[in-house]
Amino acid sequence: MHEDAIIKLEDVSTVYEGESRPAIKDINLDVKRNELVYVVGPNASGKTTLLENINGLLPPFRGKVSVFGLDVQSNGRKIRCQIGYVPQDFMVKPGEPYTSLDVVLMGLYGQIGFLHQPEEKDKKNAIEAMKLIGIEELAGRPVGKLSGGQQQKVMLARALAKNPKILLLDEPFSNLDPDSRGQIPSLITKLHKEKDLTTLIVTHDIHHMLDSCNRVVVVSDGRIMFDGTPEKALPLVENHPHTTSLEATHR
Amino acid sequence: MIWLEFAIMQRALIACLLAGFLMGLIGVFVVRMRLSAIGYSMSHGAFAGAALGVATATNPLATGLLFASATAFLIGPIADKARLHADTITSIVFPLNMALAFVFLTLAPEVGLSSQVANVLWGSIISMTNSDLVYLVTLFAATLAIVYFVWKELFAIMFNRKLAEADGINTKPFIYLIIFLAGVVVTFSLKLVGGLLIYALLFNPASTVLQFSENMRKVIVYSPLVGMTTTVSGLVVSLFLDLPVGSCIVIVSTIVFAVALLLSPKRRRKEENDK
Repeated sequence: MHEDAIIKLEDVSTVYEGESRPAIKDINLDVKRNELVYVVGPNASGKTTLLENINGLLPPFRGKVSVFGLDVQSNGRKIRCQIGYVPQDFMVKPGEPYTSLDVVLMGLYGQIGFLHQPEEKDKKNAIEAMKLIGIEELAGRPVGKLSGGQQQKVMLARALAKNPKILLLDEPFSNLDPDSRGQIPSLITKLHKEKDLTTLIVTHDIHHMLDSCNRVVVVSDGRIMFDGTPEKALPLVENHPHTTSLEATHR
Repeated sequence: MIWLEFAIMQRALIACLLAGFLMGLIGVFVVRMRLSAIGYSMSHGAFAGAALGVATATNPLATGLLFASATAFLIGPIADKARLHADTITSIVFPLNMALAFVFLTLAPEVGLSSQVANVLWGSIISMTNSDLVYLVTLFAATLAIVYFVWKELFAIMFNRKLAEADGINTKPFIYLIIFLAGVVVTFSLKLVGGLLIYALLFNPASTVLQFSENMRKVIVYSPLVGMTTTVSGLVVSLFLDLPVGSCIVIVSTIVFAVALLLSPKRRRKEENDK
């Protein structure tokens, strides 16, 4: 393994239970420390599967996934404590008995460890992460009563509260209002640089790419079709019929 | 009250308070972790086990615990290994447990609705012994200690199991722990409420409180209180009307849930949103 590669996928194929067609096929991918990678591609192309293979939520059918040089299948819990993850389209139902602060603080529970209780410093970290995203005033509000965009910010704060080494963000900007859509990606880019993070962002919003990232991976039909600079990726992505139509829908 | 002068009534009252508390507490985890089908199946596992105890003249508590644990083991780890959905395995295990229960009750020395058989079916305050109370008090202390120490993990899993996993919590052992605890609590409460009805007490208090509260910490406090109130009210009703205590407890707890549903601000909001 390259000494800087913090995430490594070797010949990874993943098949969902009850399906015969693999969601991703023979994926090989190295992500170096402090890289910011955008993963783009049409719906059901395997982007989410790729992220969930990296954090070990989904075991590969074939191949090997390593993070920090450790096999994800046998060190999943330890690795996930260092990964901030925002799942795709996560919405909390109205009436759920959890406040926003509860949800953000929960992101730290794996790190706090078994039989240990959250301390004041953990609560401070959670509040700090909420301040960073600009939602500290929502701390005491039931999370199910928040708008889709606010809930997405809560999930981002949750991912950041644990001071992760890796950020895996699956469509993290899809529900944000236009103002936040301008601010939050810039904030993520800033944090990525300041905190020496390794970041993978799944997105349809390809126009953030040129400003912020140094690498784009295009996934289609479960395979990596392109892996390179955003300048080279942009024409390819923009001309892809699925991506263009999806981007129009998101706007 | 004159009833309290009698040891039987005192034991029944204490048993109602303890069982109501425990069922209300564990019920929150069972409902929020969507383990209702499992809880239902395991209640009847405890029922089949208790029936075996009656048939073989051994301690129904021990055999009930054995069956509830076996059911928990079948539904939890074995279903996971066999890659069977919990609903599938529950659909198999629930009727099997009921069939076994009725076979065992038919084989009981005094066939028909002998007092012991009736106790297993409908519950009885007379059958509560001092040993049963000691078991319930021990279970009460152990359950409180367990919930205190693993509250953080249970809290996260109740919110979303996948997110809890993503944050580095190994969720499976905690789910199995709740399944096992539910089995033990059901078994030790079986004598009071009866095997056919006990599962209602696992779901009704938690479902009642969840209609109102938007704070999980309050849910975990109020659900045991509702559990205790309904079991004691059911006991009083059964004494006044001379009806089986288990039936009265379940009817009271169902009425409380129905009233909660009618008054539920969450339900009203959902209806308004749907319009």
